[in-house]
Formats: sequence, structure tokens, C-alpha cells
Amino acid sequence: MARLRVNGELREVDVEESTPLLWVLREWLGLKGAKYACGMGLCGACTVHVDGQAIRSCVTPVSDVENKSVLTIEGLDPNGEHPLQQAWAELNVPQCGFCQTGQIMNAAALLQENPRPTEEEIEARMSGNLCRCGTYQRIKSAIQAASRAAGEVSS
Amino acid sequence: MSAFRKLDRREFLALTGTASAGVLLLGLDTRTAQAAGTEAVRADFQPNLFVGIDSDGTISLLVHRSEMGQGTRTACAMLMAEELHVGLDQVTIVQAIGHPRYGDQNTDGSRSIRFNYTRLRQMGAAAREMLESAAAEAWDVPVSDLVVRNGSIRHDASNRAASYGAFASAAAALPVPEDPVLKDRADFDLIRTAQPMIDMKAITTGHAVYGMDVEVEGMVYASLERSPTVGGRVASFDAAAARAVPGVTDVVELPADESGLTNHAVVVLATNTWAAMEGRRRLSVEWQAPTGDLETTESFTDALRRSTEEAPNTILDQGDIDTAFDDADQVLEARFQGPHLAHAPMEPMCLTAHVQADGCEVWAPTQEPQWARREAARVTGLEEDAVIVNVTMLGGGFGRKSKPDQIIEVVALSKQIGRPVQIAWTREDEVRHGFYRAQNYQIIRAALKDGAVTGWHHAATFPTIGSTFNPQNSAVGRGDMGQGATNLPYRIPNIRVSGGDVGSDLRIGWLRSVNHTFITFATQSAMDELAHELGRDPIEFQLEMLGAQRYIEPFGAREDNPYRFDTDRLKAVVERVRDESGWGRTLPEGHGLGFACQYSFASYVASVVHASVENGRARAHEVWTVIDPGSYVNSDTVKQQLEGSAVFALSYVLHGRITTEDGVVQQSNFHDYPLARMNESPLVNAFIMENDHPPAGVGEPGVPPFAPAFTNAVFAASGVRVRDLPIGGRRLE
Repeated sequence: MARLRVNGELREVDVEESTPLLWVLREWLGLKGAKYACGMGLCGACTVHVDGQAIRSCVTPVSDVENKSVLTIEGLDPNGEHPLQQAWAELNVPQCGFCQTGQIMNAAALLQENPRPTEEEIEARMSGNLCRCGTYQRIKSAIQAASRAAGEVSS
Repeated sequence: MSAFRKLDRREFLALTGTASAGVLLLGLDTRTAQAAGTEAVRADFQPNLFVGIDSDGTISLLVHRSEMGQGTRTACAMLMAEELHVGLDQVTIVQAIGHPRYGDQNTDGSRSIRFNYTRLRQMGAAAREMLESAAAEAWDVPVSDLVVRNGSIRHDASNRAASYGAFASAAAALPVPEDPVLKDRADFDLIRTAQPMIDMKAITTGHAVYGMDVEVEGMVYASLERSPTVGGRVASFDAAAARAVPGVTDVVELPADESGLTNHAVVVLATNTWAAMEGRRRLSVEWQAPTGDLETTESFTDALRRSTEEAPNTILDQGDIDTAFDDADQVLEARFQGPHLAHAPMEPMCLTAHVQADGCEVWAPTQEPQWARREAARVTGLEEDAVIVNVTMLGGGFGRKSKPDQIIEVVALSKQIGRPVQIAWTREDEVRHGFYRAQNYQIIRAALKDGAVTGWHHAATFPTIGSTFNPQNSAVGRGDMGQGATNLPYRIPNIRVSGGDVGSDLRIGWLRSVNHTFITFATQSAMDELAHELGRDPIEFQLEMLGAQRYIEPFGAREDNPYRFDTDRLKAVVERVRDESGWGRTLPEGHGLGFACQYSFASYVASVVHASVENGRARAHEVWTVIDPGSYVNSDTVKQQLEGSAVFALSYVLHGRITTEDGVVQQSNFHDYPLARMNESPLVNAFIMENDHPPAGVGEPGVPPFAPAFTNAVFAASGVRVRDLPIGGRRLE
């Protein structure tokens, strides 16, 4: 049995404690936005936030997040209009789209920690997330656009 | 069967498998079914298979091509919406199941728009004309007095207006026009504009449904330990430890399919994916490999080299190549190599099937749902009409998801265990059990006389694409070398193309851009080497070698074909990329520009790459790519494909390498089969030529020129020639 808060809601899940958070989210809680793509923490497709930090849910046992707060793409913004989601739409970032939820969640954590990242800081952070379609330049531009938009709102 | 005909209500209902509005398929809830795109058109008026309009105003457009990131759902919808005079925000997209009634659904070969550009516009136009006729009849006014805009019809003189839904029932009673009038290019509202992808919101909120997101009531989860060699067998296995994993429900054997397309496997069944994978890790299996020496990279490479040196099969012989070499002042020879490559789509294959006594339903991220349907029918012994193949979104495909091995396995397994089942491939499975882009060895020899290229002999050996279907057939053939070698566009009087014959013990398949990935690398690297040898600017040299306008035929499209290879269109993209990239400018020490071009999938592409070499490490900084795809649909999709093509090719220039030992693939995941990451990737500037030629390919043609443009830039930057891919960890010195 694991207890965790997911997208603001307290959830109790009857599951082996070694089960990675990714599979608990996907198959016990029906939150399919985080994806399996490598199972080794190498590609970032499974990225979610735990207590505000971006983590690789495919290599994080659910026991590690006991009583912690998990944020998934489904909970990032109630209307799907987080500045990053808007920037993704404006710049038409995705191609197949499969890796993009992980990209957005990693970028969201980046902007939380560093609201005005430089291009180098974006590259350093986002190079952990693979995209086989090669949408990297649009991801970079979208993070910069979201960063600017958030800056305008707060100033 | 022509899709362009009217369906009666009864038939329409039969096609969609439901007699009520909405749909519920085997436990998928309605929202999931819609997001997954499972076919469910609600319409009182459906003049053809692709367009449906309901009295409540719902406009449904059916897309029959598979979406894997190439933008086909958006582009197909744009074609229909354009002629229907509606915006993309007014339509509901429905993904077609696999069925021959839609015509070709093989989403491969950059053909979706080529095959459907006119046809889908006609579907929209026919519906719009019938709605107009119905309105004219209802209002008793001439059709010519009506104005149609954004899904509504207006009659200004009588100040009447109504939306399409109001005329849906009346339109359904009218005859379908045989030859509806299509818009002129000048009147396009959508075609040739930049439209955001239609699935944007679903993707950015995590609700898009890929193969692995499907859930079917009562399904079990399976993970397969497949024979590490093609044709190997399970000698024995011990499943005790696997069965002890909580959640594991059973362990069974799944025999190899008679087609030879799948491997013998031990299957762990469980109540969830993780338990299935964990159980599988605890399996202990003894394998019996096929007899004989199986492929090992080192000796396989030698065999490719020897066969290329002999190159016994002449595929093209123009002029007198032997005399050209005998009379030459100088002969240049360059040898090129590339390894097997795995596709590595971000989504490993994940498929679900439910086989019952009287029917079979499959949910699959497949590029070829009709092939899937045929194989499912064969495996189950059911009629094809009893098989439904639902197409989910594909988390990348690149050719891997066109193969039916994954369908055969899941259908056979469901049949065997009598339950709905989902097979999740791990990344390791995907890397080790591929249909690989073939390892290759090429030799290009050029004869030079009086400063001109008088002879060109291109020899190549690699297991042919044809061996996908028949592993006994391994010799390089016309279709293989027709991808850039036999249709070399340069004014060289004597050309020979020849091939060797070496088969692989792996399964060979096609990867995005197919043989162009390595043939273009060889030809465009050789052209650059020749330019430097002759002291010429590489672009000016190529333009001169292209010369006056000609059509290039060997094995390509012929005279009566609008897609035949026009050298002037290639010249035009070369000149454009020269100008856009600022070719010829001086760059800092250690930096250089490189160039390459290629006609492929009926499109013309030229690329310039700005590269640097520092401490023996090559880096691509910026790319300029120009494409002439003829008539295109979504300008932003075209640019996205060119951007992505460069990164796709970058992965195989820098990293991609599958090796074998005794027939067993040695790589497994992204640590030993790396893909290009953001910090390695260049900025791509994409440009589209404007003309009225028929639509050509977009998803693949951007890939081939990148590799040679990059390595030619590496030469310009450092003086080091890269002829063996990938560069991998080696220092360029």
C-alpha cells in the first residue's frame, strides 16, 4: 500500500512498494501522460514532479514518494494553459508528441527554479530529454517564449 | 472499391459497427475511444467515406493515414476542410480503421499527400456542393447566389443563413456530384498556410492516446523474452522465479510464426506491465540458436567489403566505363561504410488485441493497418471482415511500425490465451528485435581526364530491402540502387552501378529515407571530394555537373510521369541554399560549410551545414535546407520535417551503430544506442520553393543530404574526411 498526493488529491494505492511511480500513475491511477520509453532514466519521457522537483518516474520506486506530492502533466494546469503549454501550441512544437509531456514537465521545473534561463541553461537542463522527431529547436524557443511571457505577467 | 461514392445509412452503420450515436468498443470509454481515434463518425449526411455532417452541426472528417509526427492528420483534414469551406476548429477528426475501402493506407514512403491531395479535396468539395444544392432547393434560389463560408450557407438577397447541419438530411437525398469543382490556388484559405497540429491540446495535456495508452476491459499485460537470434528456439526454461513475482499470472510459450517474421518467445503474463517485465527478468531460458556461423560484425564487414570489391552484378552500364578508366589521367577512389541501424521511435511498440471465436479487434500504433488486418485474419483463421484494426497515435514510426511482426505476436497470443492482451515492448526489445537499416559498404571510383569527370563506378553491398520479405534474396538490386545511384543526375558520359550479395542474419527493413541514407552519403561525399580534387567550389562544381535541363530516368519515373526527375528543379534548390546560407563567406579557424543535395521521394532538397571541429570533436551548428516538394499542404509541417530530418540524420552521423555477435544484437538501450540530444543539435533554417508541380514527399527527403553536408563541412573545417559512419567516439585528426 502506498499513500501519495497526486495532482492535489490524496491517493492510496494497493501496490508492491518497489513498483516504479510511472506504472502506478499509468496503470493504477489512469494518468497516461507520463510515458515509458527506456525504463532506465535515460530519456525523460516519464518525467513528473515530486515535491516540485523533476524526476524520472520510470526509475523511482513508489515507496520513495510515500506521502509526497506528485504533479503530472494532467495536473500542470487545470485548463491545459500553462505558459509552456501555450508556448508549445504557439510554436507548434510537437511532431509525434510522445516525448512532449516529459519535455514540458522538465521545462516547467526548470522555469520554477530559474524563471529566466539562458540558452545554455536550457540546453544543459533539457538535453536529458530525448526527442527522436528532433523538435529540440522549437522546444528551446518555446521555453524562452514561456519564460518571457511569465516575466511579462509578473512584472 | 472507389471511396468516392455514396453510402446508404444501413451500410454506413455497418461500417462503423454501431447503431447508436457515439461508440463504445470493448470497454474503452467514449472519451478514450474518441481520443484514440477509433472510428466513429456521427452523421446524417455522409456522401463519401471521408466526410460526415450531422444535423446537430457536427462535422466529421475521417483520416485514413497514420499519424507518427509527420503531420498527416492535420494535412489530410486541411485538404478536406479547404474544399468544405470550414475551419480546422470546426471539425472533429476521426481515425479510420484499417480497411481497403479507403484505398492505400500504408503510411510509408512519404506518400500520404501524393496519393490524396486531389482525392481528399474532392471529398470535401462534393459534400459542400450537395449542401449548397440542398440549401438552394430549400430556399428556392439559384446555387450561384449562395455564399458558403466557415460551415454556413448564406443567401444575402433574402437575408437568410444557416449552418451545414440544417441541410444535412436534405443533402443526403441528393445525388453525389461526379466531378466537384475545386478551388483555385489563389482562393486557398488553408492549403499552403501554417496550421498548428490538430492534436496539439491532446498532446500537451497528456491525453493523446498512443499504443501504450490503450486499455481494454479484462486485458492482461504481457512481456516477451524472444529468441536472441532469428530462427532460434527455446530449448528449456524455468519460470519458477517469474511466477513468484506478485502480479504474474502465467508463463507460456509463443511459437515463432510460420511467416518467419517473429521469434519463438517465452511470455510472462501479469496484471500490470511492471509485473510482466519483472517476471520476465526472472526467467531463465536456454536458447538453441540456428546451426551454422551466424553474423558477427567484424566478419560481416569483411564480407561486405569483399563483395563490393568484386561487385558481380551490374545494375546500370552507361557508355564505356572500362575505356573511361583506361584513358583517365587520374582515378579517385573513396570507400564508405555505415552500420545496421535500429529505428528507436520514442514509443516502443505496444499493441493490444482481443481475439474471440467470431472476431478479432486490434489496437495498434501501426503504419500499415491493412497489412495488420490481413495478418490478423491469417493468424486467427477469421475472414478479414471479422478483423478490426484500430489505429492509435504513433509515438514515432520511421518504418519500424509498418512491419506486421508485432501484430502477429499480439493476435497469436490473444488467440492462444483466449483473452484480450497487451504486449509492451521494452526499449531493449525494440533495439534487439528490429528490422534494421542494413549495414553497407560502398566504393565510388571516378575517372578524371583534362579536368573533367569522364567515368563514375559506384559499387555497393548491403542486404537488400527485398530481404525483408524473402531472406534468401539478399543481392543488391535495381530498386536498391535506384535510390540515388542509378539516377545520378550529373553529366558524366560513362557510368556503371554494380552490386554485391551478402545476406544478414538479422531482419532487414526500411528506415526513414531508406537506402538514400547511405547512397546519398557516398555520392555527395564523392562529389565534394571531386570538387576539392579539381580545385573547384563544391556548389559551383555541382551546378556545372548538372548542366542544362534534363530529365533523369534510370529506374525512376518516366516521360509521362509528372514526378520524373527534373535537373532544373534540383539546380533551383541548390542555388537557393547557396544564397540563403551565405555560402562562400569566411568562417573562423576550425569552422566550415559543407553542401549536399538529393532528389528523393519526388522532392528536391539541398542543405548547407555549418560545422566546427574542436579537439577532434565535430559539431553541427546551423543548417540551411531548401525543399521543392511541389504543391504542399501545411507550410509549418514542411519546416518541422526539415528540422527533424537534420536531427534524425545527426543521430546516425554521430552515434547510431548496431553490431552483432553470433547473430545476436549487442546494443540494448539509449546508453549504447544513443540518439542526438538538444546540446548536439543544430539550428535548422528551412525554406520551401513555391510552384505548381504536383505534391511530392516531405517526411523523408530532408534526411539524406544532411549527413554528407555535415561531413563535407567537417572536411572544410578540419581537412579530415569522414567516410565511415558513425563518427562515434573517434577523434577527427
